[in-house]
Amino acid sequence: MKEFTYLTPTTVEEAVSLYGQHSETAKYMAGGTDVIVKLKEGWMEPDYLISLKKIEELSELRKNDATGDLTIGATVTHAVLEKSIMIQKEYPIIHDAVSNIGSLQVRNVGTIGGNLINAVPSADGAIPMIALDGISLIQGPAGERSVAVKDLFIEPYKTVLKPGEILKKITIPAQAPRTGSAYIKFGRRAAMELPLIGIGVLLSLEEDLETCAKARIVLGVAGPTPMRAYEAEKLLAGQRITEDILRQAGEKAADESKVRDSVRGSAWHRKEMIRVQVRRMGLKCMDIIRNNR
Amino acid sequence: MNLKELNVVGKRIPKLDAAKKAMGRAEYIQDIKLPGMVYGKILYSRYAHANIVKMDTSRARALPGVLCVLTGDDVPKKMRMGFYKDNPPLKKGKVCSFRDEVAAVAAISPEIAKTALDMIEIQYEELPGIFDPEKAMEPDSPLVHDYHKTNVLNLPWKLHYGDVEKAEKESAFVVEERFTTQWVSHCCLGTSGAIALFDSSNNLTIYTNTQIPSLAQKDFLESLKAMGLENKRARVIKPIIGGGFGSKLDTYAYEHIAILLAHACRRPVKILFDRVEEFKAISTRQPTVIYIKQGCDKNGKLTFRDMRMVLDNGAYTSWGATTPSVMMMPITSLYRVENVRYEAKCVYTNNTYSQAMRGYGNPQATFAIESTIDMLAQKAGIDRVEMRRINRNQPGDLTPQGFKISSCGLSECIDAVEKEMDIKGPREKGVGFGIASLIHVGGGARIYKSDGCGAILKMDDYGKVDIFTGGTDMGQGLDNITAQIVAEELGLLVEDINVVHSDTDVCPWDVGAHASRSTFVAGNAALGAAKKVKAVILEEAAKTFGVSPDQIVMKARNIFVPGDAEKTMPIDKLLRKVHFSPQGKMLMADYFYDPDNENMGKDMKGNMSVTYAFGAHGVKVRVDEETGKVEVLDYVAAHDVGRAINPLLLEGQVYGGVVMGLGYALTEEVVTRDGKNMNPNFRDYKLFTAKDAVRIKAPVVETYDEYGPFGAKGIGEPGCVPTAPAVANAIYDAVGVRITTLPITPEKVLAALKEKKKRPLN
Ligand SMILES: Cc1cc2nc3c(=O)[nH]c(=O)nc-3n(C[C@H](O)[C@H](O)[C@H](O)COP(=O)(O)OP(=O)(O)OC[C@H]3O[C@@H](n4cnc5c(N)ncnc54)[C@H](O)[C@@H]3O)c2cc1C
Repeated sequence: MKEFTYLTPTTVEEAVSLYGQHSETAKYMAGGTDVIVKLKEGWMEPDYLISLKKIEELSELRKNDATGDLTIGATVTHAVLEKSIMIQKEYPIIHDAVSNIGSLQVRNVGTIGGNLINAVPSADGAIPMIALDGISLIQGPAGERSVAVKDLFIEPYKTVLKPGEILKKITIPAQAPRTGSAYIKFGRRAAMELPLIGIGVLLSLEEDLETCAKARIVLGVAGPTPMRAYEAEKLLAGQRITEDILRQAGEKAADESKVRDSVRGSAWHRKEMIRVQVRRMGLKCMDIIRNNR
Repeated sequence: MNLKELNVVGKRIPKLDAAKKAMGRAEYIQDIKLPGMVYGKILYSRYAHANIVKMDTSRARALPGVLCVLTGDDVPKKMRMGFYKDNPPLKKGKVCSFRDEVAAVAAISPEIAKTALDMIEIQYEELPGIFDPEKAMEPDSPLVHDYHKTNVLNLPWKLHYGDVEKAEKESAFVVEERFTTQWVSHCCLGTSGAIALFDSSNNLTIYTNTQIPSLAQKDFLESLKAMGLENKRARVIKPIIGGGFGSKLDTYAYEHIAILLAHACRRPVKILFDRVEEFKAISTRQPTVIYIKQGCDKNGKLTFRDMRMVLDNGAYTSWGATTPSVMMMPITSLYRVENVRYEAKCVYTNNTYSQAMRGYGNPQATFAIESTIDMLAQKAGIDRVEMRRINRNQPGDLTPQGFKISSCGLSECIDAVEKEMDIKGPREKGVGFGIASLIHVGGGARIYKSDGCGAILKMDDYGKVDIFTGGTDMGQGLDNITAQIVAEELGLLVEDINVVHSDTDVCPWDVGAHASRSTFVAGNAALGAAKKVKAVILEEAAKTFGVSPDQIVMKARNIFVPGDAEKTMPIDKLLRKVHFSPQGKMLMADYFYDPDNENMGKDMKGNMSVTYAFGAHGVKVRVDEETGKVEVLDYVAAHDVGRAINPLLLEGQVYGGVVMGLGYALTEEVVTRDGKNMNPNFRDYKLFTAKDAVRIKAPVVETYDEYGPFGAKGIGEPGCVPTAPAVANAIYDAVGVRITTLPITPEKVLAALKEKKKRPLN
């Protein structure tokens, strides 16, 4: 592993300016669970590592009770999200996703921001952020801008972030009443597992508790980036939610997916899992909504 | 067997070095640094099969900090590894697998050594590779080694007892199936490594991760001889190792390369594997293609067993190619079956080559045997547990291969599984039970010219013992077992016994830590030495007390005549008395125990082990019929161990074995594409995690074997032997699909379920 200088700015401005000084020879690091692996493998050889862990504002996790917005700072760890009762109750899809990332040790240091910006198709944390219509706030040399989380990803390991830009936080807009959400990582073991396929579903119902007001179906490892199954979502919108229509949505989502054969699993099985799990997660959402009544 | 009250044997004494390991004080090869030590690194092939056209090491040699660079040209012709002697430590002219070592560097730092490797330029000319052992047997297949003329190895794995064809004709029911098993890795948490150094007279000392100090010494002496260093000494020291499981039963290229580098640069040279190297360059379990036929009469009594196997040998030959010798054990002797036939062909391919791994072929063979026992029971309309009872082995049996079954608790093991698990009862949808049994060597295994182990014991003036054993502790607990046996025999406490092992300069010979033999063989060696010393102590005490030796008892550090309060003294006091008298004595003894077992004859017959271990496993699973995912709900592993010398460590062996077996059954697999290892890391190699592990009940059946130390038999390997068929049988019970290839992934189960739905009901 190549030697590097470790920098610990305490504000976003300082971090951005440090990056400005060292530009391409510098790299941001949050929990380091992806960065350290890459350093060790020699895939990344920065001279400067700029840690974001000392920047207090990035680690904020807060629900604004007036607006209903949820703010998740970029360096909030998976463990913090996992243990939050508020997240467990109100955003079960986030809990489902982060509580099965890696192992306890990985969750204790790995952050949601790192998970997004690392931008692998298997990023568990990306699925709920997309399903919840999360907006990311980015700050760089040219100031601040916002990008929907669903539009963050370009290809594996590549996001829309420009050199020097920092992801500050994700804002989850207030959820509609009667909303349920769920995620499942389908893999072969119970821990330290990248998903063979990741499936997140969010449903909001009308007051009749049957008609779908909004649907989100988000897939991981189903293409080069985490993706929404728009056609499947459309199929549900405005319809009465039944097991049968969820099954159809599963079929649609499987068709939309761009799953591939790899050494980890074959395409047909991944498709099959989308079919099954979209339905199951949809039913789970319905249960959640009913139980919250 | 005298079941007198025991004080130390049978107690749950934690592993003696547990605290040291937990506190980070244990010295692994990673921790050892010698004065002047430099670092070696190995360059591996870029192709599965290729000619080496040109090699240029000049840039690497010129790099400051590099002490030497070696290639195949620097390896003496006669320096070859493995029992088939087909594997030079560095390859010359041609590479036959991705793990082929083509060059090695010694440098003052691992980083410089690594940089130097990158500077070695090699021009290859790629050759067509062969990766399927069955295709490699075809006449027009490319040859892995031209000189060998055929890809099929010349090995004697063939037997036929009774008349299988006749028995098949006379059978009421016959089943036939093809099974395949995969490459799996031992996944030792401590990666491999060695440090080699020469003294001024060219005697070698090598610190290395080995399970076979004595046989490794022999290999290294052969290498020295090939290097022109005849009549030199080789001292093998094994530091604490982070797991063996059979992976360290042969010597590897890296050890011989360390020797070559150390000799070339006159410095201690350390080679240490990283995890990727560990996955790629350490040999796996032997993969197999198995064809099996079994039959029974109308009452369910087995009539014959007919098996044929093709083993992917990989490009070179290590102990993996001898696993058929142990596969023969379950094939001929798991259950009573008179007519048996077996033939195995080991076939060269351009894949990785295999080694010993816990169970040594037994898990592969038992997967096929026990899966088809269930199939046969179903066909014959007999309950599967009954089927096993009908055919169970029993004490006093002589099996077709000539195994003399002394103690045998198979029946009790099956009972124990039934007691813990309601195998025959009703079940929920998608839930099923499976059972499978095992036989394994439990009293040594004579696969080498000697199956012996030596022990030297000395006592000091303070009532403390040093025992130098040939046996090797590699985490399995031989240190405890040795200490407990000696303490029991000499009336001492475990903390009075210092077990010294794994240094060929001070420890006697032993064939190695394998075949579940150490408790039995090294245990008997320790017991033999202790008995010799005890006899002298009793004789001296008899003089002191004025009674006959058989009236004297040694217990809890005291020696006394029971019932006579006058005639008692601490053992250490007696020892001093004996030492500090005119013509005094210090107590020492040696003992070499070589079990009374037999090498296999030409017909493969022979009582391989003095006694055999038995077991039965039961498992409850839930199968998700929409995803194919199998969840293990409950597991019982009952074993006949003769006697549990240390129930705590015994359970540890069983738990570890079962979890390893479950990984073998469900998740673990070295994935290869045209000979290339595609998952050399713990992310993609699906070793069970703590979260995947299930609760395991481990009932112990004690049959007090007459040959075992305090009645004990071996238990190191059995835990992983019948796991896969038990799981496969449970899956069949749950959802009616028979999976015949390991590992049983959700994909395979789902594919089979879909296939089943397509089939018309018959
Ligand atoms: C053993 C192991 C198991 C794992 N298991 C899983 C799993 O199950 N599921 C899963 O999804 N992932 C898993 N991961 C991957 C990893 O832990 C997660 O992606 C984690 O969330 C990354 O966060 P981090 O803070 O450690 O990122 P880092 O490694 O610090 O950074 C990752 C990338 O993001 C950039 N970055 C980080 N923060 C910011 C920011 N605020 N602004 C701009 N750029 C930033 C870094 O420059 C780097 O390129 C695993 C990793 C390991 C080592």
